[in-house]
Amino acid sequence: MIEFAVAGLTEPVNATVPWLSLAILFPIVGALVVPFIPDAGDGKQVRWYSLGITLVTFLITVAAYLNGYDPSSSGLQLAERVSWLPDLGLTWAVGADGLSMPLILLTSFITSLACLAAWPVSFKPKLFYFLLLAMDGGQIAVFAVQDMLLFFLAWELELIPVYLLLAIWGGKKRQYAATKFILYTAGSSLFILLAALAMGFFGGGTPSFEYTDLAAKNFGTGFQLLCYAALLIAFGVKLPIVPLHTWLPDAHGEATAPVHMLLAGILLKMGGYALLRFNCELLPAAHVQFAPLLIVLGVVNIIYAALTSFAQRNLKRKIAYSSISHMGFVLIGIGSFSALGSSGAMLQMISHGLIGASLFFLVGATYDRTHTLQLDEMGGVGQKMRIMFALWTVCALASLALPGMSGFVSELMVFAGFATDEAYTLPFRVVICGLAAIGVILTPIYLLSMLREIFFGKEKAELVSHTNLVDAEPREVYIIGCLLVPIIGIGLYPRLMTDSYRSSIEALVNRDINAMEGIARPTAPIIRQQPTLQAVLRAPSLPGS
Amino acid sequence: MSAAAELAWLIPVLPLVGAVITGLGLISFNRTVNRLRKPVALLLITCVGAAAVLSYAVLAGQLSGAPVVEHLFIWASAGNFSLPMGYVVDPLAAVMLALVTTIALLVMIYSHGYMAHDKGYVRFFTYLALFSSSMLGLIISPNLLEIYVFWELVGMCSYLLVGFWYDRDGAAHAAQKAFVVNRVGDFGLLLGILGLFWATGSFDFQGIADGLSQALSTGSVPMWAALALCILVFMGPMAKSAQFPLHVWLPDAMEGPTPISALIHAATMVAAGVFLVARLDPLYSQFPSIQLIIAVVGTITCFLGASIALTQMDLKKGLAYSTVSQLGYMMLAMGCGAPVAGLFHLVTHAFFKAMLFLCSGSVIHAMEDVVGHEPVLAQDMRLMGNLRQKMPITATTFLIGCIAISGIPPLAGFWSKDEILGQAFNSFPLLWFVGFLTAGMTAFYMFRLYFLTFEGNFRGHNPSLQRQLLIDAGRLSEEEEHHHHGGTLHESPWSMTLPLAVLAIPSVLVGLVGVPWNSRFAALLNPEEAIEMAEHFDWGEFLPLAGASVAISTAGITIAILAYALQRIDLGQLVAARVPTINAFLSNKWYLDAINEKLFVQSSRKLAREVLEVDAKVVDGVVNLTGLLTLGSGEGLKYLENGRAQFYALIVFAGVIALVVLFGVLGGPTA
Repeated sequence: MIEFAVAGLTEPVNATVPWLSLAILFPIVGALVVPFIPDAGDGKQVRWYSLGITLVTFLITVAAYLNGYDPSSSGLQLAERVSWLPDLGLTWAVGADGLSMPLILLTSFITSLACLAAWPVSFKPKLFYFLLLAMDGGQIAVFAVQDMLLFFLAWELELIPVYLLLAIWGGKKRQYAATKFILYTAGSSLFILLAALAMGFFGGGTPSFEYTDLAAKNFGTGFQLLCYAALLIAFGVKLPIVPLHTWLPDAHGEATAPVHMLLAGILLKMGGYALLRFNCELLPAAHVQFAPLLIVLGVVNIIYAALTSFAQRNLKRKIAYSSISHMGFVLIGIGSFSALGSSGAMLQMISHGLIGASLFFLVGATYDRTHTLQLDEMGGVGQKMRIMFALWTVCALASLALPGMSGFVSELMVFAGFATDEAYTLPFRVVICGLAAIGVILTPIYLLSMLREIFFGKEKAELVSHTNLVDAEPREVYIIGCLLVPIIGIGLYPRLMTDSYRSSIEALVNRDINAMEGIARPTAPIIRQQPTLQAVLRAPSLPGS
Repeated sequence: MSAAAELAWLIPVLPLVGAVITGLGLISFNRTVNRLRKPVALLLITCVGAAAVLSYAVLAGQLSGAPVVEHLFIWASAGNFSLPMGYVVDPLAAVMLALVTTIALLVMIYSHGYMAHDKGYVRFFTYLALFSSSMLGLIISPNLLEIYVFWELVGMCSYLLVGFWYDRDGAAHAAQKAFVVNRVGDFGLLLGILGLFWATGSFDFQGIADGLSQALSTGSVPMWAALALCILVFMGPMAKSAQFPLHVWLPDAMEGPTPISALIHAATMVAAGVFLVARLDPLYSQFPSIQLIIAVVGTITCFLGASIALTQMDLKKGLAYSTVSQLGYMMLAMGCGAPVAGLFHLVTHAFFKAMLFLCSGSVIHAMEDVVGHEPVLAQDMRLMGNLRQKMPITATTFLIGCIAISGIPPLAGFWSKDEILGQAFNSFPLLWFVGFLTAGMTAFYMFRLYFLTFEGNFRGHNPSLQRQLLIDAGRLSEEEEHHHHGGTLHESPWSMTLPLAVLAIPSVLVGLVGVPWNSRFAALLNPEEAIEMAEHFDWGEFLPLAGASVAISTAGITIAILAYALQRIDLGQLVAARVPTINAFLSNKWYLDAINEKLFVQSSRKLAREVLEVDAKVVDGVVNLTGLLTLGSGEGLKYLENGRAQFYALIVFAGVIALVVLFGVLGGPTA
């Protein structure tokens, strides 16, 4: 056995209590027990049970954060390592660093709220909660595992519950949406598998899929570029990146509110997390070549999706497109070679996880009352639903990056990080910043128009006569309140969150900057000299190291 | 007295605490809290009142020569970047704090009367406190980024308050327009801040100015970039302070309750743009070309606002355009490199314009009893007249406001406007001339408002005119019958007249702290300039210019008296009939709204629809087509949609697992 000296990564700190394994397995075991819960079939018992399980899971992750996690360290913490299937080279390796810990917390937090949001579900409740709990474990696993094969398995494992949740509890076009979702994501995850196998077996040494081993390997640039491209497609579908996004409006358009919260709150973040984890951390040389593309795609995301959202007349799809638009900032942040920008990308994921979840929850709650999602059929709803109106307004303002809320901080960090990033030429930065800032104008246009069309103006007689517009109930206010606490908390004092992953992001960015300098030495930095797109086009012909 | 400055952070925090308490109460116990009108009003007025007391203590400290106090903490950091936030108390901040808290307090007292019958009373007070908090935070911001934060927050409060009566379509559109137009300005401001941070590595006002001049001298930042950044930053104040061509939101924002128009859209928030330009004076004073642009924009705005105000029939809209015009004066002063003069006008204008708006609110309040809660009727001067008989306090204070804004000595407006015109005369004579003309127009339209509203005969009991107005506004179709109200006019309650009377005092007197030969205002903000002003003061220079402005104002007032009080001349016949194009041009507000609608609103809608079309047909079409092709035929797709897709998914999953196993078995031993 050859021991690899791992540059830039400190030795894993092993956990005394297997917190992460507990967080993954507890909800899964909880899910397996669901069929045996005595329940009359209306979900009234099983929902309490599930809420309990998700809350305990949340507490486990919080305990893990408090007891085993040191925010100032950039290394892997809470690490557990058990040889699982040695023949396959598969180890049960979990751990958390700055990239994964905040997302693990986000997952368990949003899932427990989604469970509360699912309160009215009465159709096949046992199956529903079974899937919800299974998904909870699967998603925590995606963020916590430290082995690429295991990652792939977790990634796949989480698809099935989502698929079923969509296909059984969705809207009218649920079959179409669910099929599209599964084809897209299962198809794209094939690329993850290929890349994982390639990275595991090539590059010398014993085949291993553990991140630390992969990071230590010395892949050639050409190889990195291939793997990077494959992974970019896979994660680009998830994030999503335009033009790989068309599953999302359909899936989000058909999902019920709690599933919706999970899709927007957590699933999209898997794409961003994976981009940081694999593309940036493990394939730095390729990242240097691809980063400009990421930035261009990010801007396309922001503007394209904002425009589509503006024209959408269906409320759910409007919000779905707004999610895509917000994810553009994640791409720009990831593509910037600055700690500030990448930190902003990370914060944008967390922030959108919270804001997206709250908006989608509100969409569901509104739909329960109006029984329509068409903006043309709404109007003047605010007079009967005043609290709902207030909650909508706050969440919409959060989404349009109002200062004092988390979205502003993350977008500002991305902007500032990219604008001051010397890796790109000045004209490129000017153009990108200018275009991305157009999103700053477009976002309020579509969000405020939406508010106006739903709540302002005279009550529509037809809507009022057909529906019972009751105001928000305490459960709903509570859910939004829970989501607003971190949204506003981060907005007022961002270091609450950023300090928990700061050192990891800095280590990651340093790795990428080193890679950039390493590659560019013979001919001076390519990106600095060439128009950026050209650098991308030329990338594959670069000599491997 | 520096102890007060150390506590300055409490000034924005106090109203915020009050707003948060009532806001949470409204969300959690809506009905109960909505019934607690008096306690809520008392709590919030106490909060703002305490902030006002503290502000005056701070101002007294600064007057007695206390040093500037600045406290910072690291708000966000990543890599080698760190962003401080905190607060700064300097003379400018102290003056603004006192001004804003005073007016906010009076407006709150006024609102107790004005909003007495509104079911959103508690919500209104909450918003007011929230706004006061954000505005006060803006004032004590020590750097550009923190200003931006509060800048957006005051914009949000403005949005909430303009759209306060959300069942009105007009309010809904106006609120959205206000926010979006301001976002256009913020777009520039944000890019400018980022660019300046890139160029100088600082968000601090002085740091930016020093850094930029240094970067220019070393050549690390080209001149064009520096100029572009300055213009970008200026876009923010242009939108916030309603400068041409981004002024379009302000007149529409009058859809909000009138106390809001007084507080936010006349006295405080719209002045934030001027305030920011004053804060950035160290930066702008390095670039004469930028100053010229600022001065020209200010002058255009000043003239445009006054010209549109000439023909307005809506009392509040008339005042709104007057505000646009006066903000133009302030900006002109900034462009002339005389921030002290601009700020002085900001202060005097805040007092008399807030008073004028509150007067108009008092009028509307009374008119609503006669014509009903319909802004189209209650604000239209064609239905008013002779209100002085029934509302003496309102009429008197309105008249004081008219004299003050017209620039008749020794009232407040004279001193500040004259100082601006004097500065403009020295810097840009052409712009001075436009400003000078505008002063005459100002006097004319203000007295026109006064005479139409308070003198002559009362025209409110005219059902056919009411009907016609409603039809013109599109609020009533030809067939519908208009419901008549039949109340009588009355003077407003003490809670509304008291603030008017209180505001009348500074409207008369506050100008005297800035007389050019001994300007205490300038001495506080910029002692050197005050000494210089006093030294260079020359009656021979002052009297002709001041005399000219007084003369043109008097001319304007005379025309207004002849036309509207004595009815000796009929302006409709004399001007409107002879040159209908000008009249149409003015009453259509220079066609700017129409251009805006066509150029930006329609085209962006069209673009968005087209993009959506592409997304649905092309991008998604390709996906669906691929799906169709891979599955062989439409039959395959149907198979999938029949619900057996779970099976398919499981096959994919199983296949993947099998692959893993296969690779594992094959790969394990060989490596």
